[in-house]
Amino acid sequence: MNLVLEIQGVSKRFRTQRNRPATLKESFIQRLNGRLSRAAGEHWALRDISISLEKGRSLGIIGHNGAGKSTLLRLVCGLGRPTMGTIRYWGQIGSLLELGSGFQPEMTGRENLLTGGILGGLSRREVEAIQDEIIAFAELEEFIDQPVRTYSSGMYLRLAFATITHFNPDFLIIDELLAVGDSRFHQKCLDRLKSFRAAGKSLLIVSHDLDQIRASCDEVVVLEEGRILMRGDPETAIRSYYDVMRHRTEKRRAEIEGAHQPIQGNRYGTQEATVTAFRLFDGEERMTDHIYAGAPLTVELDYLRLNTVVDMACLVTIFNENHTKCFETFIPSVHSASGKLSERGSIRCHLPEVPLVPAQYYIAAGLFPTDWSFAYDHHGQIHMLHVMNENGISANVSGVLMVRPEWTVRPVDPS
Amino acid sequence: MTHQLDLILNLARRNFLLQFRGSLLGLLWAILLPIVQLIVFAFLFQRVVPLGINNYPVFVFTALLPWNWFSVSILSAGNLFIVHRDLVRRPNFTPSTLALVSALTNLLTYLAALPIVFVLVAMSGRAITWTVLLLPFIMLIQGTLIVGLSLFIATWNVFYRDVQQITGVAIMLLFYLTPVFYSLERVGREYRIAFTLNPMAVLVQSYRAILYEGTVPDWSELLVASSVAVAALAIGYLSYRREIQEVYDFL
Repeated sequence: MNLVLEIQGVSKRFRTQRNRPATLKESFIQRLNGRLSRAAGEHWALRDISISLEKGRSLGIIGHNGAGKSTLLRLVCGLGRPTMGTIRYWGQIGSLLELGSGFQPEMTGRENLLTGGILGGLSRREVEAIQDEIIAFAELEEFIDQPVRTYSSGMYLRLAFATITHFNPDFLIIDELLAVGDSRFHQKCLDRLKSFRAAGKSLLIVSHDLDQIRASCDEVVVLEEGRILMRGDPETAIRSYYDVMRHRTEKRRAEIEGAHQPIQGNRYGTQEATVTAFRLFDGEERMTDHIYAGAPLTVELDYLRLNTVVDMACLVTIFNENHTKCFETFIPSVHSASGKLSERGSIRCHLPEVPLVPAQYYIAAGLFPTDWSFAYDHHGQIHMLHVMNENGISANVSGVLMVRPEWTVRPVDPS
Repeated sequence: MTHQLDLILNLARRNFLLQFRGSLLGLLWAILLPIVQLIVFAFLFQRVVPLGINNYPVFVFTALLPWNWFSVSILSAGNLFIVHRDLVRRPNFTPSTLALVSALTNLLTYLAALPIVFVLVAMSGRAITWTVLLLPFIMLIQGTLIVGLSLFIATWNVFYRDVQQITGVAIMLLFYLTPVFYSLERVGREYRIAFTLNPMAVLVQSYRAILYEGTVPDWSELLVASSVAVAALAIGYLSYRREIQEVYDFL
């Protein structure tokens, strides 16, 4: 047995911060008051967690928001001490927890790369030896000597990802498998992680994307309210995750009737039916996130439903960058459109033309009960769509709607 | 160990250069700032309130540079963990490194301006003696003091932002209680003990002995100052060690 990580009986308690004095004065006052509020704010984020990870294995952690996933990852990274229990690891950790943290905006990409590498555990020389490889992977040859503040967010993330994965850590911690750059670069990142695994390194992955977990993990741990619910092969674990989900949704629905439950950022819903994948296709049925103005677009989403969901409505909306709704469509009942719902399925929405002005747009998609009283799963403005300028269309357009302008100017006869 | 050194040097170099990024004069600022201070002091205490000190520019400058090293480091110490939150939260990163990096960064500013002292000494017709070789030793004591105090301030300021305020006032007052622009000879015997216990006063006097007078510093006073510096380091490091896990949770 060749362990890289061993977590033994770890529990973590947080004191709720509002009771924490921020200045000496408040601290003093609290002391005078006999600290009556102290014990009130306690929260056990993790309880008695034991996990071990062997060399060359990859472990996924799934669970709802607030189940303790992030706390666990942070403890593994050495940020904070478990209230009880021990965490030991062997070798160098690479963390994709906060991509690009530690980058200095005023310094150039190259300088940041060097600092990042040294922070990642390499010597100056070692970084210099592999820096060209990293720059090539990030596809930043032209910009590497520009200050990082001039980078687009995509370039920034590409550099950060390339930097961390090239420093050859013994195991890599990944939170929410990154949406780095366009889909092509995303694939490149996944390949990189694959080769990382092939080289006998270990991965610790936290994700909501269950397909991703299924594809890249040997074993999966399900966390629920700070405890390990089960540990097993991905299929079994994911099934039990859905069981938990159903129990929770029922419990939650009983508590708050039909209200939109915030899940994470722009995503909310009771998750009784879940959007498990979201894809965009262009006119040639190629997966993409960019189309030409006026070209066709197909939105496809895969769903997974619980038995309790017999029918649902599906909504697709296009927003522009100012959060203005540009277009929206829905099917009020998937059941009456296609008959009995299978447990898993995919829903396609084909738009023969998207006459939008070239710009960046967001696509929202969601599954709702047919009376629209709450959401099963709604992806807010998460998915991006770039509408590009096709040759031949005048660039002098703005607004929302793409109409091909034809200008004529002629003099008016003075008579 | 060599890796830790690589890291510290790289971060110090980065932070040092970062101060001047985007400015037209760039590195010149490191020299320009103390020179402006020097001009004001020279005007004040040679013309307005003459103190009657020979070679006043050299006299002030030998003390001003180490004082700036000290005060800038200490004043920035409060926010050390807060500003570098992303580094502190990184796996495998030891936050105490930041105190060392900060001390080193400001030392670089000091070293950048140090040649001016030599120029001023040469211009005044004095000789630079072998005692300059003692400079690194004095700097080591000052560095120890700075790192110790920084660790203490940085740690506690995470929980109580008052620390930052207190530091600001303390540094301002300490400036007047340290013989930077005046000579310790004007201070009455009965008050001397206060200056012996102030490590910055001793250090400033030592720099002055080496560079201005060309003599050997007072060893017994230096011993006191080193003890204070080591004590500061011990206290700073211990409170850092005790609280660092709380710092992680709190940041």
